[in-house]
Amino acid sequence: MRLNIVIGGAAGQGINKISGIVSNVFSKQGYYTFNYRDYPSVIRGDHNFNVLSISDKEISSHESKIDGIVAMDSLTITKHKASLRKNNFIINPDKFEGFGRNLNVALAGALIKILGFEKKDLIDEIKKELNNKLSLEAAEKGYESQEPKYSFKKINNKLHLMNGGQGIAQGAINSKMDIYFAYPMTPSTSVLHILASKQEKEGHITYQPENEIAVANAALGASFAGSKVMIGSSGGGYDLMAEALSLQGMSEIPLVVYLASRPGPGTGIPTYTSQGDLNTALRAGHGEFPRVVVAPGTPNQAIEKTNEAFYLANKFNTLSIVLSDKHLAESEFSFKSKPKKPLKIKVKRAIPGKKIVKANSYEHDFFGNTTEDPRIANLKTELRIKKYEEIKKEVKKFEMIKIYGKKNSKNLIIGWGSTAGAIKDAIEGLDVKFLQVLYMKPLSNEIRKHMENANKIILIENNVTGQLGRLLREKTGIKIDKKILKYDGRPFYSDELNSQLKKWL
Amino acid sequence: MAVKFDTKYGITWCPGCPNFTILDSIKLALTNLTKKGYKKESFAMTTGIGCHGKIFDYLDISGIYGLHGRALPTATGMKLANPKLNVIVFEGDGDAYSEGLGHFVSIGKINPNITLFVHDNQSFSLTTGQATPTSQEGYKSKAEPLGKLGPPLNPLALALASNVTFVARTNARDLKHTSKIMEKAIKHKGFSFVEIIQDCIVFNLETNLKDKRMYKLPDKKRTKEQAMKIAMQYDYNLGKGKIPLGIIYEEKRETLEESYSKIQK
Repeated sequence: MRLNIVIGGAAGQGINKISGIVSNVFSKQGYYTFNYRDYPSVIRGDHNFNVLSISDKEISSHESKIDGIVAMDSLTITKHKASLRKNNFIINPDKFEGFGRNLNVALAGALIKILGFEKKDLIDEIKKELNNKLSLEAAEKGYESQEPKYSFKKINNKLHLMNGGQGIAQGAINSKMDIYFAYPMTPSTSVLHILASKQEKEGHITYQPENEIAVANAALGASFAGSKVMIGSSGGGYDLMAEALSLQGMSEIPLVVYLASRPGPGTGIPTYTSQGDLNTALRAGHGEFPRVVVAPGTPNQAIEKTNEAFYLANKFNTLSIVLSDKHLAESEFSFKSKPKKPLKIKVKRAIPGKKIVKANSYEHDFFGNTTEDPRIANLKTELRIKKYEEIKKEVKKFEMIKIYGKKNSKNLIIGWGSTAGAIKDAIEGLDVKFLQVLYMKPLSNEIRKHMENANKIILIENNVTGQLGRLLREKTGIKIDKKILKYDGRPFYSDELNSQLKKWL
Repeated sequence: MAVKFDTKYGITWCPGCPNFTILDSIKLALTNLTKKGYKKESFAMTTGIGCHGKIFDYLDISGIYGLHGRALPTATGMKLANPKLNVIVFEGDGDAYSEGLGHFVSIGKINPNITLFVHDNQSFSLTTGQATPTSQEGYKSKAEPLGKLGPPLNPLALALASNVTFVARTNARDLKHTSKIMEKAIKHKGFSFVEIIQDCIVFNLETNLKDKRMYKLPDKKRTKEQAMKIAMQYDYNLGKGKIPLGIIYEEKRETLEESYSKIQK
């Protein structure tokens, strides 16, 4: 049983509260939820909506066809009516007058009743989240106003709710990060907010300097002085950091970067999603130096891959980039599995305070002082590049790719990052194998074997040029001709993807 | 025996460059501080890119030879990571006032307990003499043969307007005075800024030899208004105004590191 419900209204009306309340109630009853957030770059007004997908089986996507609309305004109904399935429901705000700011809570109450849950489940949740008289009254009135349409019964599942941004933050906390430096830019900002709110409890510092250039340079200064650091940005903010990424390459001061993509170029479509930044994650910064790029596709993977990024950065004094996007960062997943036990991150490098330590943006000798000597330049360049061979060996102990679907199928889908959710749900019942690339750099040698064994290969990416496809061609010589690419700022719907894949098969 | 700060690296500044005196001044200041209990290993520096930056190789303390214009945030990060480090920053006028201006005007607000020395020779000398924000009006360089437009920036006034808690100026040629002010700046709790007026002996020659117009301020507590008046006496243009040296302004305020003291590992 799977339902997709659109919850919509103007920015500022509190639609996230509705989906939050309903997700929590469902999750406690053992149902899986996936919550997609769609909002323009507007603080008050316009049209925001969430698609809340609910299922008794594990899901990690939303669908284009919807079963119900919860509308905070009439515009929501106008915009989404066409997507409704035959058997549907609409909760119309016209019938809910006089609730003021608690309209969202009243609608949440109405929705809970329609879905067939007990009033107690709703009241418990409201008490936990809002606990004030007006909200409780609104929830109750909303509940009483409807008749049940569905009858979801409790199932025995212990589930976690988390979005990708929370996963990244948890990965950093698990790594015992000391300082997070960031300047606000959507969609990376959620991690700044999460980590800032946990400073006192977890004992790390979050610091927002004057710009992204300061972010990256301050982080290198802190890392040099012995801290485990991460920086975060998106789009143009990340571009501003490029020179400091190159400084990382020369100075070999460990640095972890969280890059949350949005559609570009330029300011692009700030509050929407894209996988257009793979190339710049792999290459930003002048000169030649090694780096690691990981791309989680679920909150659990975000926790683990961020932890590995810290581990590799600090073990090899290198640059680790955690590549994500708006869809992963802000969509809420529910899942059973717990992440693996975090790796311990040790700071083994020499740090200032007890002895003299020098780091340098110029080519330098083994004391860290500047040199233009061709023999030293040659040696140091080779040493920096050689480090990458060590990194390649080390990452083999981590999950670099993940296989879903029919392991022996000759039909191979390749994707990465946040598309994994929709692809996983879209291949349900199809004769396909889905390979999710988790390490974009270094790439796993296994990928070539899977490609060589396949009769048909299809590439799925949320960008216009198929950047992973080009990377794979560079590494394997195999060109993938068939691609499903989406570049309107919106993530894939699993039902649409399913029909596209059926046609391909 | 006095702690030494020399390195074995050959100095590549132009013979006669006042950077030599600045190097000696900082060595003297650091040596004096070690006599007062500061540990040599507790010092850490960041430098920008330009003639001044070469000091990195000639000074035997920890540090990062950073990016052009970015020495301030690099140093702020160091201090946040380890507040016990005594962090000093060397920048040129191109670094501090052109490429890195956004950092310069932001640092007074956050007030980390670090020290900035600006080697101000009113030109980009390592790139052969182009104009910087403090170059005099009309200065002709290879990049601007028609002459630099507009009056120069007054970095002292800017620092005061940006709420810097220690503002001073010295003459690069005056080793003793520069070194004394450097020592006081390092001891100041909060962000301290010392503008060091320096001749470039190869480029922008017409702005050189201002020593006669310089005078030393008496040690005195001043309001910001009084300090601003003193800062405005010299406008960095040719031949105009007396040039006050010494500590122009000093105040105590919570530092960046102190603002995080609630957070315990």
